[in-house]
Amino acid sequence: MPIYNAPLLAIDAQETKRYAGLMKARDFAAEKILEACDNARLLAQPRGIWEIYDYDCQAQMIKSQPSCQLQGKKIGQHLAGCEKIIALSVTIGEDVEDDISARFKDGEYTLALLMDAAATAAVEQIADGMEKALAPKMAAQGFAMKWRFSPGYGDWPLEQQPELLRLAQADKIGVSLTTSLMLLPRKSITAIIGLYRKQENSVPSHQPENCALCSQKNCPARKV
Amino acid sequence: MSKIEIFDGAMGTMLQAGGLQPGACPELMNVENPDVVKNIHRAYIEAGATIIETNTFGASPLKLEHYGLTDRMAELNTAAVAIAKEAARGRAKVAGSMGPTGRFVEPLGDLSFDEAYDNFFAQAQALAAAGADYLIIETCIDIQEMRAALLAAKAACNIPVICQLSYSEDGRTVTGTDPQAAAILLDAMGADIIGVNCSLGPEELVPIVKTLAENCNCPISVLPNAGMPYLKDGETVFPMGPADFGQWGVKLLEAGATYLGGCCGTTPEHIRELAKAVKGQPLPKRKKQAKKLWLTSRSKAVCIDKELPTRLIGERINPTGRKKLAAEIREGSLLGVKKEAVNQVKAGAHLLDVNMGVGGIDQAAAMQKAITEIAQLTDAPLAIDTSDAQALEAGLKAYPGRALINSVSYEPERIAEFLPLAKKYGAAILCLPITPDGVPKTAEERIDVMHKIIAAAKEQGLDDGDFLLDALVMTVSADKSACYEVLITLQMYRERFGYPTTMGLSNISFGLPNRPLINSTFFAMCLAAGLDAPIMNPYDESMQNTLMAAAALLADDPNGLAYSKNAANLAAPKGAATAKVTELTPLAAIKQAVIDGEKDEVPILVENALKAGIDANTITEQALTAAMTDIGVDFGAGRMFLPQVLLSAETMRAAFNKIKELTPVSQSPEQGTVVIATVKGDVHDLGKNITGALLANSGFKLIDLGKDVDSTEIVKAAIENKADIVGLCALMTTTMVQIDKVIEDLKTAGCAAKVMVGGAAVTQEYADSAGADAYAPDGVKAVELAKELVKK
Repeated sequence: MPIYNAPLLAIDAQETKRYAGLMKARDFAAEKILEACDNARLLAQPRGIWEIYDYDCQAQMIKSQPSCQLQGKKIGQHLAGCEKIIALSVTIGEDVEDDISARFKDGEYTLALLMDAAATAAVEQIADGMEKALAPKMAAQGFAMKWRFSPGYGDWPLEQQPELLRLAQADKIGVSLTTSLMLLPRKSITAIIGLYRKQENSVPSHQPENCALCSQKNCPARKV
Repeated sequence: MSKIEIFDGAMGTMLQAGGLQPGACPELMNVENPDVVKNIHRAYIEAGATIIETNTFGASPLKLEHYGLTDRMAELNTAAVAIAKEAARGRAKVAGSMGPTGRFVEPLGDLSFDEAYDNFFAQAQALAAAGADYLIIETCIDIQEMRAALLAAKAACNIPVICQLSYSEDGRTVTGTDPQAAAILLDAMGADIIGVNCSLGPEELVPIVKTLAENCNCPISVLPNAGMPYLKDGETVFPMGPADFGQWGVKLLEAGATYLGGCCGTTPEHIRELAKAVKGQPLPKRKKQAKKLWLTSRSKAVCIDKELPTRLIGERINPTGRKKLAAEIREGSLLGVKKEAVNQVKAGAHLLDVNMGVGGIDQAAAMQKAITEIAQLTDAPLAIDTSDAQALEAGLKAYPGRALINSVSYEPERIAEFLPLAKKYGAAILCLPITPDGVPKTAEERIDVMHKIIAAAKEQGLDDGDFLLDALVMTVSADKSACYEVLITLQMYRERFGYPTTMGLSNISFGLPNRPLINSTFFAMCLAAGLDAPIMNPYDESMQNTLMAAAALLADDPNGLAYSKNAANLAAPKGAATAKVTELTPLAAIKQAVIDGEKDEVPILVENALKAGIDANTITEQALTAAMTDIGVDFGAGRMFLPQVLLSAETMRAAFNKIKELTPVSQSPEQGTVVIATVKGDVHDLGKNITGALLANSGFKLIDLGKDVDSTEIVKAAIENKADIVGLCALMTTTMVQIDKVIEDLKTAGCAAKVMVGGAAVTQEYADSAGADAYAPDGVKAVELAKELVKK
C-alpha cells in the first residue's frame, strides 16, 4: 500500500479554464483564473495511494484477496493484454470544497466556480503526478502503463466503486463513498491502470481519450 | 579523482540465472547460496571491475520486512561483505549497496524522516563493520530519502559514501529534483562521490553527468541501464549490447564521470567492453568550481553572488508585530503562512525567510510543519529564521534542500549549537556581526567580529560558499552615522571576504516620517555599495521600483531593457475604461456594466441613476432584468460562458445592494419564492449553487437548503415558505431517483409548488417521467423557466 502525495507547485491554468467552460471565451481576465488557482492550491492537501495486483485479462479478474471480477466490455477491452493492474486513489481533501461553498454563500460566485474548476484540475494533476512516479518503476520491470480508467467510463458500472476503493485502500488517505456511490471528498479520483509488457518498437498507448468515452456530449469542458 | 574506477553491472538478473526463485529474497542467497553470489562477483572482477557492489540492495530492515527477515539484517549484510571480499581477494574494492525503502518519505509518503534514517543507519553500520570500503546509496528518487540515508551513513561510519539518484527522461527525479540541486545539496552534506544510476541508458545520462560535474567538486559516478527493457519473443530484453555500452562509457567519462559501471540489463560482457573502452583514456577536464553561495529547494537551485542580479529574500513569514498571523500560528493554522509564501514568490521573492517566533508554542514542531508545508508549495529556497537550536534542527531536517540559517552571531551558544547543525545538514549561514557585548558601531569593528565568526565556522568544516554576510542596519534617527557605517561595511565585506551580503533594510527609518522615501533611498545606496540579497517586503512597490531602476543603473539589467519594458507599462494610459461608458444613458450604462461584469463600477452608476431621478423599479426592469435577458441569449448562443454569467450575477448583486441601501423603502417586487436543494445522497452542489446565484439575482427569493437534503425537509421548507417553485438537483443516475420521491412527497403533502429539475444525469425525458414541471439544462435556462413557471 504505497503512499505518494505528489507536490502541487502550480495548478494548470489552461486546464482550469477548460473545466470552467471557458475554452471558447475570448478575453476572460487571466488574473481571475490565476487567483482561483492560487486559492485552491493553498487549500489543497494532496494525497495518493496505490497497489499493484496480478490480472487475468481473459476472465477480467483482478487477483486480489478476495478477487475482483471487472464488469463491463469497455474496461475489458481497455485492459486486454495486461498482466497486472494498478488500483489507485488520489484526493485533494475537503478544505477546498468547504471554501468554495462559503464563497458561494458570500456572493463570490465567479471565484467559487473558478476555484471548483481549479480543484478539478489539481486532483487530475495529483493523479498525473502519481502516474509519473509509477512509470519508471514499471518501465524498469519491462511494463508500460495504459491510461487511467475509472468507474463510470464507458459501461464500467459505478457499482464497482466500493471494490476499487478496497483494492486501492483509499480509506487510508481519507477517501470514502456515500451510499449513492459518490466519492468523498468530492475532489477525489479512483482509477485502474493496466500494465502490459512493452514489445519491441511498440507504440505506447498512453493517450487518454476520456472525453470521447463520456456520454455528456454538451459538457462545457469537453475536449473537441 | 586521480583515476578511473570501474563498477560491476547488474546483480538481480545474474542471481536469477543462478537459481533465485521469483518472489524469493535475493539477499537470502548470501547465506543460503553464497557461491552463486561469489561467482557473480568473480565474473565482474575478471571482466575488469575495480569496485564490486555487495548483494545488499534490499537488505535494509524495512525492505527485509517484505520477507519477514528484518531480524536477520546484520547477518545478511555481514555475509554479503564477506563474500565480496573473498571474491575480490584484494583485486577490487567492495562497496556496500543500500537501495531505497520503496516508500516515500513524508510529506510525499508515509515514512517519517527518522524512520528512514534509522533504517539506513542500521544497514550502514552492518556493512561498514563487516569491512566494506565504500557505501553506495543508489536508485533513490526522493531527495528526502537520500538525505536521511546520507546523514545515517555519515553518522554510522567513516568510509566514503557514494550518493546516486535516479532521473527520468525529463532530467529530474520523479519527485522533481534536478541534478544541479542534487549535486549542490549532497556536496554540502558531505557526500564523497555523487552520481546517477538506473532508469535511463547511457545516452540520456550524458547531460545529467555533465550537470552533476559542473555543480560540485566531488568525483562523479554513473551506472546506466543497458537501455530500456521490452518484450521480445516472450522474454524481457535490454536493447544495448556490450560494445555500444562500452563506447558510451567514453562519452560519460568525457562528461565528467570517473566511476563507471552498469545497472539493469548489464552483464560482465558490458563491463568488459566498458573497461576496455575507457582504458588509457584521458581523465575528464573538470574546472574547479569556485565556491559560490548556492541554496536549493527540492526542485530548484538559486545562487546569491556579486556577479548576479539582486536576490530578494521575502521577510513576510514572520509573526512579529502581526497579531492575526501570530494568532493563526498559535492555533495551529498555516493558511496565512502559506498565503505569504505564494504571494511573495509571485511578487518577485527568490528566497523566503521563515520565522515562526510565537510565544507559548512548541517552536520545533511549528518550524517543522511550516518548512514542510511551504516546501510543498513553492520552489523558492528557504531561510530558517530562529534563535532556538531545536527549532532550527527540526526545520533543517524537514527541508528537502540546502537551507540558509538565519542567523549565526558571535554569541557563544550560536557558535556552539548552530555551526555544527549547519555542517551536518549542509546549510549555509547568514552571519550577523553581533557579540555578547552587543552591536559593534563601526564598520571596522563589524569586520573584526565577522572574521571571528568565519574562523569559527571554518573550524567546524564550513567553507567559502557557505556564508552570507549581514551588514547590520541600525536606526539613523538614533545614530547619525548608521547609514554611512552600513555602506562602508558592505564595501569592506566585498573587499575583505568577497562573500555575498544581506541585510534587513527598514530599521534604518525607524522614528522618521515618510519612511518609504528613506527606505528606498537607502536601498539604492546599499545596492551601489554591494548589497546582494536584501531581506525585505516584496510587496513594497517603491522598493521594487528602486530595485528595477538600480538594476538598470548597475548593469544587472543591461542597457535597462527590462526597465524600459516595465516603465512603458507604468506609463499606460489610465481612464480609458471609464471614458467609454460616459457616452451611454444611465440605464444603458448600468445594463452594459452588468453584461461586462463590472461589479466595482455598477454601484456608482446605480447611484448616479437614482440621483438623476430614475426610480428603482425602472432600473431593475430596464437595466438589470434587461441585461439578464441579453445574457441569457448570449449564453444560449455560445457567445458568453458560465464564469462570465456569474460575474454578471455578482454585478447584479452589487446593483441590488446599492438600490436597497439608497432606497430602503422601495420594495422591489419579488418574482416569487424558490426552494432549492441537491437531493438526498448527492453531495455535488456546484450546479445548484450556480442556479441559486442566478435566481437570487434575478429577483427571486431564494431558500437554499444545501446538499444531501432529505425529501421531508424539502417538502417542509416548500410549505412553510409558500414556495412558488421547488428546484431539485441530482448529479448522478444513482441519486436521480430521489427526484421522483420528492415530487411524490410534495404531491402527497398537497404542496402546489411547481417543480423544476436539473443536474448532469437528468434529462427532459427523465423530468417528464418523474412528473416535474420543467427541466433546466443549465442555470441560465433555469432563470428563464422560473419566470415562466410563476406566470402560469
